[in-house]
Amino acid sequence: MLFASIAAVQNLPEATGYMYPNEFELHWGLLIVVYPYLTGLVAGAFILASLERVFNVKALQPVYRLSLLTALSFMLAAPLPLLAHLGHPERALEMFLTPHTQSAMAMFGFVYAWYLAVVLLLEIWFDYRKAIVMWSRESKGVRKFIYKVLSLGATDTTDAAVNFDDKIGRVITIIGIPSAFLLHGYVGFIFGSVKANPWWSSVLMPIVFLFSAIVSGIALVLLVYMVTTMLRWKQISMTCLNKLGELLLYALIVDFALELLDFIHRLYESEESINILREMISGRLFISLIVTQILLGTAIPMLSLAWARFGRLPDEMRKILFLIAAFLVQVGIFSTRWNVVIGGQLFSKSLRGLTVYKLELMGLEGLFMAMALLALPFVILFVLTKLLPPWAPSEASVSTET
Amino acid sequence: MNRLPRQLTPLLVIFVVAIGSLFVARHLLVPRTFGEYGHYRAAAVGEIAGQEFTYAGSLACADCHSDVYDLKQNSFHAGVACEVCHGPAKRHVDAPDEFVPEKPKGRGFCPLCHGYNPSRPSGFPQILPDVHNAGKACMTCHEPHNPTLPHPPEECSACHREIASKKMVSRHTNVACTVCHTVPPEHYQNPRLALAKKPLSKAVCGQCHASDASSSREIPRVDMTAHGGRYQCWDCHYPHYPEAIQ
Repeated sequence: MLFASIAAVQNLPEATGYMYPNEFELHWGLLIVVYPYLTGLVAGAFILASLERVFNVKALQPVYRLSLLTALSFMLAAPLPLLAHLGHPERALEMFLTPHTQSAMAMFGFVYAWYLAVVLLLEIWFDYRKAIVMWSRESKGVRKFIYKVLSLGATDTTDAAVNFDDKIGRVITIIGIPSAFLLHGYVGFIFGSVKANPWWSSVLMPIVFLFSAIVSGIALVLLVYMVTTMLRWKQISMTCLNKLGELLLYALIVDFALELLDFIHRLYESEESINILREMISGRLFISLIVTQILLGTAIPMLSLAWARFGRLPDEMRKILFLIAAFLVQVGIFSTRWNVVIGGQLFSKSLRGLTVYKLELMGLEGLFMAMALLALPFVILFVLTKLLPPWAPSEASVSTET
Repeated sequence: MNRLPRQLTPLLVIFVVAIGSLFVARHLLVPRTFGEYGHYRAAAVGEIAGQEFTYAGSLACADCHSDVYDLKQNSFHAGVACEVCHGPAKRHVDAPDEFVPEKPKGRGFCPLCHGYNPSRPSGFPQILPDVHNAGKACMTCHEPHNPTLPHPPEECSACHREIASKKMVSRHTNVACTVCHTVPPEHYQNPRLALAKKPLSKAVCGQCHASDASSSREIPRVDMTAHGGRYQCWDCHYPHYPEAIQ
């Protein structure tokens, strides 16, 4: 009986201060953390691809197609956390049938459809069209059939047609840049416009989301490029890797500066919420914000990237530093999403109490579900790279001695 | 003017088909009355209005059960409608002998409101169902139509759950809170306006622990004048903790 009493007392829900009844349980859990993380990766990877296509950064040529396929893979998986969270996935389609212009979330359905159908799929199709036609002629069996379907019967590979593909691809990319900004800016917009929540309500939110998206997208493509190249026993292009590292460093600096600005602004404004936010940062969010996001996810990668890019180091050492930095950036950006989504719900609107988020393992909103949703884009990417190899034909193989 | 490049033709067909399908789907799937009044199906209003009544309302109960109704109206449960606990009772009002509303028995129902939840307002009676008279039905001790405040020590733990839980596993578990704390009667109604008093001197502890106290011989004794000097007992021995003896 005594042990039962102690166990019962220890199992009490952890909350401090005064909370409103409906804030006792967090309604947006891990899946809502995963969702902006995935959309951020889509936007970031696409913006990286556009640097090569529109801004002519030739060093990024080896990762151009890979970035596009990465963006597509993550785009296809991005709405799944939302659908799993809401249940009734079939109802999601109703926002296309009865669109509500005053709901940012409903309007996002159209942003998503536009971005997927008009920007990503079209750009990839025009970029690959000539190759698809060639593959449909060379392949056999099922692959031949798949390529024939993918070519949509447009088998014209004359110079004029290919030139047109290239031109229209560039135009789509130019349209795609603001679309990518809109895609991730919208996610920040949703949080930033919740004026009842002082942790979210900030006009800087969409901009901060956007830059963290660029950071995570570049880091992801860097990781995917390094890992896939190594797995295929090919030589990593150091020019490309250096450029990726350099861009990641610059984006990370801008992102960190923006977040710092947001933080200083909150401190300077010192609204009535500042005390509870201070308590939250120094207590419940200390590990995920100060340690994981700022120290592990920003400061250490920044130093590693600066050292790898501008220090006098052998290439192998650089690769290791880039790899570590890109991995830590992913951890950091995931923490950023966590701190926004979970952090914003940890404190009460009474501004007096804090609660905890207890992650469940199983179930529709559990850890395993989140891990499956995070792994899914990589499976899609694997299939896509098999179907539409993004590798440059001029790649050198790694010699057996190395 | 240049001819339209050939690769655009299949794309245009796909887009036209996709957008056309959307309009066809809209035509087929969106209910006819959608948008008539606002962003919802107008016919839903009539359907909801046409639903059969299942609740009768408390006043209907008062007609026959005035004794229970009056008892409840003068108790802490005055604001809880009869059908909250007994379920929809329209059928019972229509045919009292054919349908009898259910009576919630056992321990499952009352904790829906009175189970411990840190977000419940201060002063709201709460219990830990696992440890609060485990196994007994709530109605064994509590009359739901007139739930007067329970006797001590439960009356304190209703609000001071954390302290009560600690004390529950301490040496002082059987000592009523009111042995050490003086509680004005208004404290039960307005806890913040009339605060309970904490002990101010060592004499409170001395009631049991002084060398010459008349309490059980098993209770540790100290010389209240020599032990601890000018410090109060609870500067070293926090009486609610299990390790208070240290």
